[in-house]
Amino acid sequence: MAELLLDSDIRIWVFLPIVLITFLVGIIRHYVATLMTSEKTVEIQQIKDSQALIRSRMLRENGKFLPRASFEMRKHYFNNKDDGYFATQKREPVVKNPMTDPTMMADMMKGNVTNVIPMIVIGGWINWAFSGFLTTKVPFPLTLRFKPMLQRGVELSALDASWVSSASWYFLNVFGLRSMYNLILGQDNAADQTRMMQDQMTGAAMGMPPDPSKAFKAEWEALEISSHKWALEQIEDELVNKNDPLLENVRAQRNRNL
Amino acid sequence: VNEGAIRQNAAILDYCRTSVSCLAGVTAGIMGLTGLYGFIFYFLTAGMMSMMLLTKAGSSWKKFFSSWSVLFSSGLFGGLFTYILFWTFLYGMVHVY
Amino acid sequence: LSKDSNVLHFYFSEARDRLKQIREEQSRSSREVVDIWEQFLSYFSDKLGNDVWPVYEQVCIAACDCGEISLAHRCVRELNRQFPKSFRVKGLEGMVLEANQRYDTAEHLYKTILQDDPTNSVAEKRLVVIYKSQNKIKEAITELRKYLDSHMADTDSWLELSDLYLSQMDYAHAAFCLEELILANPHYHLFHQRYAEIRYTQGGTENLLEARAYFSQAIKLNPNNIRALYGLFLCASNLATKQRSAESKNMKYAAWAAEQISQLYRKLGGRGTKSSSDSTEQIKALGGMFDKLQLTSS
Repeated sequence: MAELLLDSDIRIWVFLPIVLITFLVGIIRHYVATLMTSEKTVEIQQIKDSQALIRSRMLRENGKFLPRASFEMRKHYFNNKDDGYFATQKREPVVKNPMTDPTMMADMMKGNVTNVIPMIVIGGWINWAFSGFLTTKVPFPLTLRFKPMLQRGVELSALDASWVSSASWYFLNVFGLRSMYNLILGQDNAADQTRMMQDQMTGAAMGMPPDPSKAFKAEWEALEISSHKWALEQIEDELVNKNDPLLENVRAQRNRNL
Repeated sequence: VNEGAIRQNAAILDYCRTSVSCLAGVTAGIMGLTGLYGFIFYFLTAGMMSMMLLTKAGSSWKKFFSSWSVLFSSGLFGGLFTYILFWTFLYGMVHVY
Repeated sequence: LSKDSNVLHFYFSEARDRLKQIREEQSRSSREVVDIWEQFLSYFSDKLGNDVWPVYEQVCIAACDCGEISLAHRCVRELNRQFPKSFRVKGLEGMVLEANQRYDTAEHLYKTILQDDPTNSVAEKRLVVIYKSQNKIKEAITELRKYLDSHMADTDSWLELSDLYLSQMDYAHAAFCLEELILANPHYHLFHQRYAEIRYTQGGTENLLEARAYFSQAIKLNPNNIRALYGLFLCASNLATKQRSAESKNMKYAAWAAEQISQLYRKLGGRGTKSSSDSTEQIKALGGMFDKLQLTSS
């Protein structure tokens, strides 16, 4: 296949601007988002629910370190039929109708304004302004399957798959620059939306599932089937005989036979 | 073991990973590596960074990371994305036109 | 002149960075913070820009620690001018009042904060602290329980509650709090050790058995935990007298713990600066003590 030669004007007027635009838009979005985030008001009930869920999860995971009585007591507290926490607490689904709740509406608007709209607008604009250019070539061979992905806007069936069109170069930038924002703007930045989603601070686990009663139901089931097996049953012998290779062997064999 | 400290270490590791893959991408792009060589180069540099962290932490690395697979593999593919972007970018700038 | 300003700038950034470091590490070097502020940084507060607000907060808390009430007041005033409605500043104000020992006013302030914002955990915790510092342990416990009822996953508060219960000698409740801590952090040996100690103090064969298990777990997690080793020794030798059926087993545990302890002391004695004869004497004394304990127990 003949080597393509690109006009070096493309480099100056298409290739570089796309990189700069995506980068700067990301940074601007970060600052706009920090400007627009409003203090989140959390209901005390929500905190209570989320923390109860955390506690019950810990009980399931680490309950084996507690004596049986203590484990059963906690399980009873959560799962008891008559007055257990998960059994009695009936929450109305928090999914409020966004139209009736103005703060919800405003939050949604802000989310849209900072995340989705720039994406569409800039993407559309780039598509319009820089459409139909081949901008660069990835330095490794690719199979034909990547063609529709990398050559959006340029439908040439004879073209080698490793050439990248301008629209696709934009999308490559959007995804690849994500970790760069991390580097430049610090950890919790708004330019990077995916991180925000999986933000998991144990202390500030305010993010509630939209419907607590559903989460309660799931947690109730999970807790119900978890049974108690004390991890410290044989701990003394384990400890005392640790330096005794003979006994260790015997025990290992017994375990194997079991 | 403190939860916050682990997260802090992971964040620093992530930071190193991103910077290294970014720099490696720039280098590879300017050098004009293509095909498999580029990927080999990335994994070499990533491995080298992990080794450097290991030597810096000395024998007490166990204090900082729960297991050494974390040290080597965490963020490896996220870094790969950054690497490919910079590699492609610089390669395009220098060699294609 | 320019050289002077360079030097000044150097010191300035040095001081700023040190304060920031203290803030991030959350180390409580209050004296140092106050000194840096008083002697140097207070003259350059304009230069800090927007960073000045966290610095004011930090200095205010540090000043409360050091009893420099007027400085704390100044900080709160500055912050109040900037953020007139902030709950965080109100919390600081309460802390200054506390440092001034005007507990009633502070309590009232925290309660109004809680009325406006029932999720404000700082105010709720400060209320507990006020009760505690006035030695009203009962009230402190009730308040902390109310807080924990909604913040069940706050491990530090569970720890504090267990301390409060311990000071009231309410071992059953304290044990419950420590169970909570073990759940949250099952690989931390001190929690296991503490839990075992509480169970040991409660007494009774059942509790002693559990105490033995938890001491062992603490030792397993940290073989150098000498307190847990002593605990295991005491538990086992106690149990040996109580349970005739399992006497030999318990004696074995006790002997093992004693052996571990003397080994540890030998190791430490060899490493320490004390003269070797001194440490060998200590070990001898220790061995004698163990023998005596075992004699009385058997």
